[in-house]
Amino acid sequence: MNDQGKYNRDLLREYIAPGKIEKAPDGFTSKVMAGIQVDAQHLISARNAPRKDLVPIISAGITCLLLSLTFLIPADKSDSLTLHVLNLLKNIKTALPEINLSSIFNVTLPSVSMYALLGILVLTAFDKALNVIFHREK
Amino acid sequence: MDYKGDIFYIEQILAGNSNSFCHIVDKHKNKAYNLAFRICGNHEEAEEIAQDSFLKAYKSLKSFKMKSSFATWLYRIVYNSAISHVRIKKKGVLSLEDFPVDATDFIGTDTSEEEAETEYRNSLVNFALQKITEEERGLISLYYYEDLSTTEISDVTGISKSNIKVKLFRARQKMLEIIEKVENKKLIYHE
Repeated sequence: MNDQGKYNRDLLREYIAPGKIEKAPDGFTSKVMAGIQVDAQHLISARNAPRKDLVPIISAGITCLLLSLTFLIPADKSDSLTLHVLNLLKNIKTALPEINLSSIFNVTLPSVSMYALLGILVLTAFDKALNVIFHREK
Repeated sequence: MDYKGDIFYIEQILAGNSNSFCHIVDKHKNKAYNLAFRICGNHEEAEEIAQDSFLKAYKSLKSFKMKSSFATWLYRIVYNSAISHVRIKKKGVLSLEDFPVDATDFIGTDTSEEEAETEYRNSLVNFALQKITEEERGLISLYYYEDLSTTEISDVTGISKSNIKVKLFRARQKMLEIIEKVENKKLIYHE
């Protein structure tokens, strides 16, 4: 028999026993189903967990807002903004008892220091809040 | 319990009953495992590939369009997973010396001569399979073990029907040459 004839007869078929397939090991189905359960639990916890991907978006949003405030408010009008903030503070002062820092520390601080202090406190509180919400690991 | 058909269980899973997937796994596990085993040639890896393939199938069940049969779709996942797995973990080349000389090496304490011969032939085919490329192994497995037509193999692999015929012919030739070499070695050994 020539080679062509030999291959036409499909000799390989003679070596491969019909229906001879390797069977999946015992417990295969239960392992797959366990994997599915684990995956489903991951999905549920991921759905319930706060979305960590929102952190950079929130931060970027705040940064953009601050930057646009800085650039969009003309320099000559910054006084009016300061006045507005001072008015707000005055209103707060009427509600809260006034603390005279100069009598405690015996120093006179420039007004910008108060804003800086206020900013630091706000940022610290913001950081703490994010920390609690997103369980950030340090 | 009577198997109610892939579509029935798929609809149940999509409706939220994930436990129905176990019927599908039970039905197709042997064929999926066999295909993975023929391509990678290792039982542990085959189990891992087949399990991962079922998980992938479960996760992307929504994307199953029901245009082809579920088995064809599953075969496609197993085939692609096994091929990429083997490509990542390229093994060393086996030499003819790695194969036992004859069927007597396969005789256990309670194995008949006939069983040993079948085991020998099976191992010989597995050995030859490991000497061809992973793509050829996949095609041979789908054609000979899973008994798929060239049209169905084309659906699974994405290779054209005519190309499958050419690749199958070449793979078959390569395997027969390897088998012939081993058989000749056996003859020389016994002379």
